[in-house]
Amino acid sequence: MQTIAGDNSDRDAPRQLIEPAQSAKAEPTSPSPHTTAYKLARRLGAQALRMTLFLQSLRMVCRLGFAAALAVFAGEMIESGVFSWPAFAGALAGLILSSGTGYYADTQTARAEATLIGALRQRLETSLAAMPAARLATRPAGALIAGLQRHPPALAGLTISHAATQIMLALAPLAAAAAIAVVSWQAAITLLLAIPVMIGFFILLGSVVRDRARAQEVAFGRLAAQFADRIRALPTILANHALTHEHDKIERRMADYANSTMGVLKPAFLNAGIIDFFAALSIAVLAVFLGLGHLGLVHIPGFTGLMLWQSLFILIIAADFFTPFRRYAEQYHLKAEGEAAAKELDWYFAAADTANGPARFVPAGLDNFDPASLPRNGLIAISGPSGAGKSTMLRILGGIDAPLPTLPALTQIRHPIVRTGYDWISTGIYVPAGTLADAIGWRLGNPSPVAICAVAERVGLLNDNLLPGGLAARISDGGDNLSGGQRMRIGIARMLLSDRVVLADEPTAKLDPATARLVRDALEEAAKQRLVIVATHDDALIKAADRNVILRLATQDRAAA
Amino acid sequence: MTQPNNAQSENAPTSARAPWRLAILLAVAAAASGILLTGISAWFLGAVALAGLGPAALSFNFHMPAAFVRLFALTKTLGKYGERVVGHRAALLDQVKRRAALLAAMAQAPSTRAAGWQLGHQDRLSDYIDDVEDVDYARLRVAIPALVLIAGTGVLTVVTAWLTPLALLPIVVAVGAVLLTLRLSMRDLAARGATARSTQRNGGRLLGAALASAVPLKAGDDWSTALGTAFVQFERAESERLAQRKTFAVLDMLAGLAGPLAAIGVLVAAWHTGERGTGLLIAAFLAFAWLALAEAAQGMSRIVVGHIREKAARDGLSTWTATPAHDAEPTGSPLALQTLMLTQVPHQSPDGRKLGEPLTLALHAGKATVLTGASGTGKTTLLKQIAGWIVDEHHGRYTGNGVVLLGPCRRAASHLCLHDAAILSDTVRENLFAPEASDAQCWDALAAVEMQERIATAGGLDAWISQDTLSLGEAQRLNLARAWLSTAPLLLLDEPTEHLDGAQASRILARLLSQMADRIVIYSSHHADAADDTARIALGA
Repeated sequence: MQTIAGDNSDRDAPRQLIEPAQSAKAEPTSPSPHTTAYKLARRLGAQALRMTLFLQSLRMVCRLGFAAALAVFAGEMIESGVFSWPAFAGALAGLILSSGTGYYADTQTARAEATLIGALRQRLETSLAAMPAARLATRPAGALIAGLQRHPPALAGLTISHAATQIMLALAPLAAAAAIAVVSWQAAITLLLAIPVMIGFFILLGSVVRDRARAQEVAFGRLAAQFADRIRALPTILANHALTHEHDKIERRMADYANSTMGVLKPAFLNAGIIDFFAALSIAVLAVFLGLGHLGLVHIPGFTGLMLWQSLFILIIAADFFTPFRRYAEQYHLKAEGEAAAKELDWYFAAADTANGPARFVPAGLDNFDPASLPRNGLIAISGPSGAGKSTMLRILGGIDAPLPTLPALTQIRHPIVRTGYDWISTGIYVPAGTLADAIGWRLGNPSPVAICAVAERVGLLNDNLLPGGLAARISDGGDNLSGGQRMRIGIARMLLSDRVVLADEPTAKLDPATARLVRDALEEAAKQRLVIVATHDDALIKAADRNVILRLATQDRAAA
Repeated sequence: MTQPNNAQSENAPTSARAPWRLAILLAVAAAASGILLTGISAWFLGAVALAGLGPAALSFNFHMPAAFVRLFALTKTLGKYGERVVGHRAALLDQVKRRAALLAAMAQAPSTRAAGWQLGHQDRLSDYIDDVEDVDYARLRVAIPALVLIAGTGVLTVVTAWLTPLALLPIVVAVGAVLLTLRLSMRDLAARGATARSTQRNGGRLLGAALASAVPLKAGDDWSTALGTAFVQFERAESERLAQRKTFAVLDMLAGLAGPLAAIGVLVAAWHTGERGTGLLIAAFLAFAWLALAEAAQGMSRIVVGHIREKAARDGLSTWTATPAHDAEPTGSPLALQTLMLTQVPHQSPDGRKLGEPLTLALHAGKATVLTGASGTGKTTLLKQIAGWIVDEHHGRYTGNGVVLLGPCRRAASHLCLHDAAILSDTVRENLFAPEASDAQCWDALAAVEMQERIATAGGLDAWISQDTLSLGEAQRLNLARAWLSTAPLLLLDEPTEHLDGAQASRILARLLSQMADRIVIYSSHHADAADDTARIALGA
């Protein structure tokens, strides 16, 4: 079986392929965390990470103090028959202090991550605000939104929680060993000896896990997200009467995938098992050695002649010695998710290198389109075959897209329009949730209700029986309950309330004839007072224009030349 | 066609009991061994230390406790490993059954056939999959650890009450504090979780609306404002989560205090009752057992998080499956339709608003009918009404060959070619949804939609494709190939030429219509131009 690589032969359709995201996921190579987003997160979170580390170290010290005091308390009580008040007080104090610092460390970590998420989102917002519309359209809206919701928390988890755990993995066992060394350096050495052995096992197992995971990726990778895929495609499956077939197939494939997952999980669990094994073994070994030492039957340096409290101290700390390893192993998923998120976030931060849309069009008729002196009024129509760049040119004029370097003249054209502000008209205009009056008056600086009522009447929205309620008609989020025609009428109503230059992108496409006529008339009427530029392939509108700018496909031009 | 499962299967026992019992057993064994290991080690050290002081050193039975220490150490390790393996296997087994049942249940939900499939969007789908996973792993993450923690606390409390009842005081205080905090904060935690969910989703909706109007918003310099309103929602969701985490920190602190406090309490209580020397050894055993239990209690907040998420996830999933199910489609081969009469069928929008006068029209096999009209005039909705996807038996009548056809009948008899149809992550053959078709028939269909070469170079019918590997135009053509292979007597094509350029669109449409010449065909188009020998129905707004 082979996979079809992307062929994007369809020219006009907005491409809905997720290139960076998909390729990032597909790459089986080990992820390199040094992406733009990762570095940014590290920089933004550096100070908070230091604070987290400080508090976690403090907790560790308090915990060691508690262990020492408890060991002395129990040891003295049993061995010497003395109730040691200082040890008792010390144990209580150590316990309370370590719990308190633990609480502060936890809340500080949480706060640091929340702050970092906020800071990352702020950068993302800035980056999105500056992102050209053409680049925004290269990703499906759902994937873009999901990324913004999920990736910042994952990256924050990697840069704060996981980074702290990673550093504590180096610090905490050493601190525990140092504390034990105060009592018996031989016991400390015994524990430290476990580390290289454990690491050896990790490396061994790690390669097994990686091999199995790779084998699973090769054999079953395609079955990984089949359930999600079928849920996504459920209406299509129903439309094709394929539910029974897909249901049974999915069940089979999920079972296969579950089996193969167990194959990867078993050695992965061995990793955690090794930590557990060494933790349990070292306690057992130490207990036996220390016991032999106490009995005086065997003479082992470092284990003989100890007080009971010293043995108990070693026993308690030995358990703590392995805790950081366990915590680190538990946070494996944080690392994987965070690194994947960092990679994906790079798309949002990437410079607008490939942002400009197809620069294929060649404007003709620009000679009567003098950039320095755009007329004060009149209707200018930009026309040409689809794909020739009508909308792109309109967007450049409006300063929405960056001007193309190949067209220096246009860089100057856009200034007068952008400076004074303009009305943009298309079926895609933004309509906020609320009433019809809100929708018409949106961002127009509180026009009087009378004015709104008048323009609504003029575009036929007041007595539209498909939008009952007049000016109080409810409009849902994003104007979902509006037809294209109703949207366009709202756009025209807004235009009538302002006196600015008008840029209209395909204003009459996909409209019923009545609405199309209304839009045409309104634009022609407006052109008497102000400048109206339309990108259109509507012949009636082109005929009515005072000037025409005709664009040609670049390929046609080359063929002609 | 038979439905693989019905909605009730969600309540049917989908979990294999034996592996779960084993997993619980192993978890309990591992936890008990861990507690006993620490306890017996402490007891042993105390005992040998006391014995070492006197002549008892030589007669001390050293081997017995040492053997126990080794036994517990091994049981702890193996039990933990076994718990992980067995538990995950049980969870994965359950997962397969649960998800298959969930797919069947969701297929029954009316929202699946309504306008705008929410889970077709990546953001909503990711939330949904999160919910499914939260329920899948609830036993592993919540039930078993909670059980172990509660059982451990219970047993040690009973033993403490028996040996050193005085020590119950700090234990009751500490455990009580944990329980009280849980009780007081549980509702708040769940509410914050719900708020975080809904605000985040709200932000996603606002962002989606802004993205849909990105160009006009940028034109009016309102793009950054619109982004701002969406991001404010994300920020609010994050502050709710932060508040949750602060409560979790309190919980973890209290849970972490309980074990050590109990340990100190047990020693003090034993001393207070006059125990000395060897008499204190049992107390030391118990005290260190409490210390070991404290280690298990460190996962307290994770259990609570898992519990809250599971509840929220179950609620979230039930919104998809709780609605009354459609009737099952009648089985058996659909009748051959010659005519279909629509009488007084409501002309409405996807959300049920009336768009115009009710429609009455006749459709005949052999003469395709084209629905024209601007966007928003109810073309898709009418097709879905005919297909039995939007059913209102009180308004409108559908008569096929003189017999009234209700929704389930129309569903069984029709092939609905959705304009936003999805490509499955699967082979080309599976994507054609024609298990009975021969290879030659599949290739014919691909040739008819001019995808033959594309698929051949990609690896043929067994090539693996997905939504992302096809362009919109290619996806649409593959979708039309599915219609080509359909044997349904009633074919409903929604915007079949969308995403295709003019010449290719007319070629493919002409081939499709001639392939379906003996059947009833209705297709929608917002282009006014249509083939000559078609009946035209214009839907005005």
